[in-house]
Amino acid sequence: MPHYLEGSRNSCALHGALQLFEAIEGVVPVIHSTAGCGVQYYLGGTRMSGGNDPFGSPPVSSSNIGQKHVVFGGGSRLREQLKNTVKVVQGDLYAIVTGCSTEMVGDDIPAMAREGRDQDWPVIYANTPGFSGDVHHGYHLAVKALIEQLPDIWKKPEEFPSGLVNIWGIIPNQDPFWRGNLQELGRLLEGIGLVPNLLLGSEQSVASWQQIPGAVLNLVLSPWGELPARLLEERYATSSIILDGLPIGTATSTLLRRLTAQLKLDPIRTEAFITREESRLNLQFARLADIYFHAGFQREFVLVGESAQVLGIAEFLGTSFGLLPRTLIITDNPLDSVRERLVTRLTAFVPGYDTEVVFSEDRAEISDIIRTSDAQLVLGSSLEREVSVELGVPFLALSFPLADRIVLERSYAGYRGATTLLEDIGTAILAFSRDFHLC
Amino acid sequence: MSGDRLLVFQYNVASAVTLSNPYRQNMSEKIGKHLAIYGKGGIGKSTTTSNISAALADSGYRVIQIGCDPKSDSTTILRGGNDLPTVLDTLREQSKLRIEDISAIGFGGVLCIEAGGPVPGVGCAGRGINAAVELLQELKVFDEFKPDFVLYDVLGDVVCGGFAVPIRDGLADRAFVVTSSDFMAIFAANNLFKAVNKYAPSGGARLGGVIANSILAAYAPSLIDDFAEKTGTSVIGYVPRSLVVAQSELYGKTVIEAAPQSEQAQVYRNLAQYIDENDDSVIPKPLNSPELKKWAREWGDRIFEVETGVVHEMASI
Repeated sequence: MPHYLEGSRNSCALHGALQLFEAIEGVVPVIHSTAGCGVQYYLGGTRMSGGNDPFGSPPVSSSNIGQKHVVFGGGSRLREQLKNTVKVVQGDLYAIVTGCSTEMVGDDIPAMAREGRDQDWPVIYANTPGFSGDVHHGYHLAVKALIEQLPDIWKKPEEFPSGLVNIWGIIPNQDPFWRGNLQELGRLLEGIGLVPNLLLGSEQSVASWQQIPGAVLNLVLSPWGELPARLLEERYATSSIILDGLPIGTATSTLLRRLTAQLKLDPIRTEAFITREESRLNLQFARLADIYFHAGFQREFVLVGESAQVLGIAEFLGTSFGLLPRTLIITDNPLDSVRERLVTRLTAFVPGYDTEVVFSEDRAEISDIIRTSDAQLVLGSSLEREVSVELGVPFLALSFPLADRIVLERSYAGYRGATTLLEDIGTAILAFSRDFHLC
Repeated sequence: MSGDRLLVFQYNVASAVTLSNPYRQNMSEKIGKHLAIYGKGGIGKSTTTSNISAALADSGYRVIQIGCDPKSDSTTILRGGNDLPTVLDTLREQSKLRIEDISAIGFGGVLCIEAGGPVPGVGCAGRGINAAVELLQELKVFDEFKPDFVLYDVLGDVVCGGFAVPIRDGLADRAFVVTSSDFMAIFAANNLFKAVNKYAPSGGARLGGVIANSILAAYAPSLIDDFAEKTGTSVIGYVPRSLVVAQSELYGKTVIEAAPQSEQAQVYRNLAQYIDENDDSVIPKPLNSPELKKWAREWGDRIFEVETGVVHEMASI
């Protein structure tokens, strides 16, 4: 049934593709659309993800088409823009992304990319009209473009590192902690003797994407990583491990053991690594115990975010930290098949306790649900701050959009991410409490 | 009692004001009768429109004909086949436009304008029509020229919103459709009826009638009459297929100009007279797809029988 949608956090496909391309060092996106698309991306995307703007300003090349390009076709404008971009911005790869109007008109984008390649410019394209879907669809389109078109530009490398694992499903900015999460996952894989191919973030360039065919495994960390894994299975017969959420705390140990078994790694090394990490985490739990009971950390909480975040965080808080997942609100519109398995897992963390799972991207509906949930702690995006103030309960902003926090390398994944999460949630509760006074 | 009536009167005035949209208000100031002529490509829209324009001009009216087709050949036979820069081409080249840059005076003083558009396979012709019409309004062409009639000659099947611009927004008062007895032309006419049916209730153009063109076969008038009857419309004229038309066109002229005394010229004059004297219009009832297929199949069978000489029992009595 049609309904109002307030403050949607899923934007459009063009923005999803831009987020991906900008997260790869050396890739220069070229927008072929009207002038507002790039600005909107900056204002509604990069600026709302805790300080993740690539250069601190919106310097994305754009063809900024006008009426005459709509009427007569915008191909020549794009040709000109591409030529000028190559002159002005030095990049390893130029990625054309398209907006609604140029796709409605039907500009021949593949031909423009081909023209660029004929001049020895490394150019790929992704048809990403906003109307075709949201950021997650845009992530798919951009990843697909890279997987399918890079082999046309560069020959497959002859040698690959052994034990290479591609990581999929973490969408830059849509997960505000994407940089830190990827780094922590990289550390974990290295810890058990694998070579992580993070693909996005610091020191991740087109070279990382050229390594993709040589991976022994695709590690999928959200429902949105399934498509790239499937594409690579079809192309290069690479096998996959598919998780619906981020591994946090002890869930990390399960993943590491699974990787060890599937890739026939050294179990002794893995167990030693797990023991070291878990011991550190257990010690931190022990150090927290006093304040945990004193300040009443065990609370019913509401968590609002993308499926991967909600699954990972709720599992860790519910199973390891003793918090009670009252209502879990998933905002990224996963497919129906994914929803079923998410609900099954999300409602089973605390035996005998009823957890409500809601799928919604409507701020008004989400606020109403929180308002009537009796939650004693709200974890969500900056959009949920208002309702938490209204309820008079502690609040921590941890999902997109994140307008009131800076996130540079912070992680909420793996073992170290678990520590950070404990610190941040604990701080949110203590800072809110009126019972504590310095004495 | 009189007080009640006064109240009712006031209410009606108030509701009329609040219900009327800005375009509607413009319409009251609209100069001349605005007519849009649609039909399948190649069916003779431009020839028919140009001859009607010529006939109206010949009767002393001030006429503007606007070709709304990227092919930009609507007004060719009014202008002796000379080139005319299109609105959109000129818009692409120059930022400041004057009416003289995009118009030419043709036969009988008809002001000829071509909207123009992209080359085939590129760009968006529908948006082009939209942009050209906006520009003509900005240039105040109608205020300057003060026409009695404005005829929009619009491409084909109303494939997208852009081609519906002339019948939307209260731009044209009436739409006419040119069709032959060819089924594809009838299907295109039915599509236009769908568009009129959609837009008319919200202030768009209503249907003025059907112009039957290229009439050659004996069954053609009955077929088009039957279609008009089924869709709640009427045929306002039958234009026979004629060599005079083809020959006049080869000389870059309308029949009105090249063969003013011919029977064909009289046919066009009658059409022009009808349009001048008659303001009747309806909201057509287009056939849905199964109805249209069934109707076409029945007529197909009848035509086949006529062409192959099937004689039904008692048919000759």
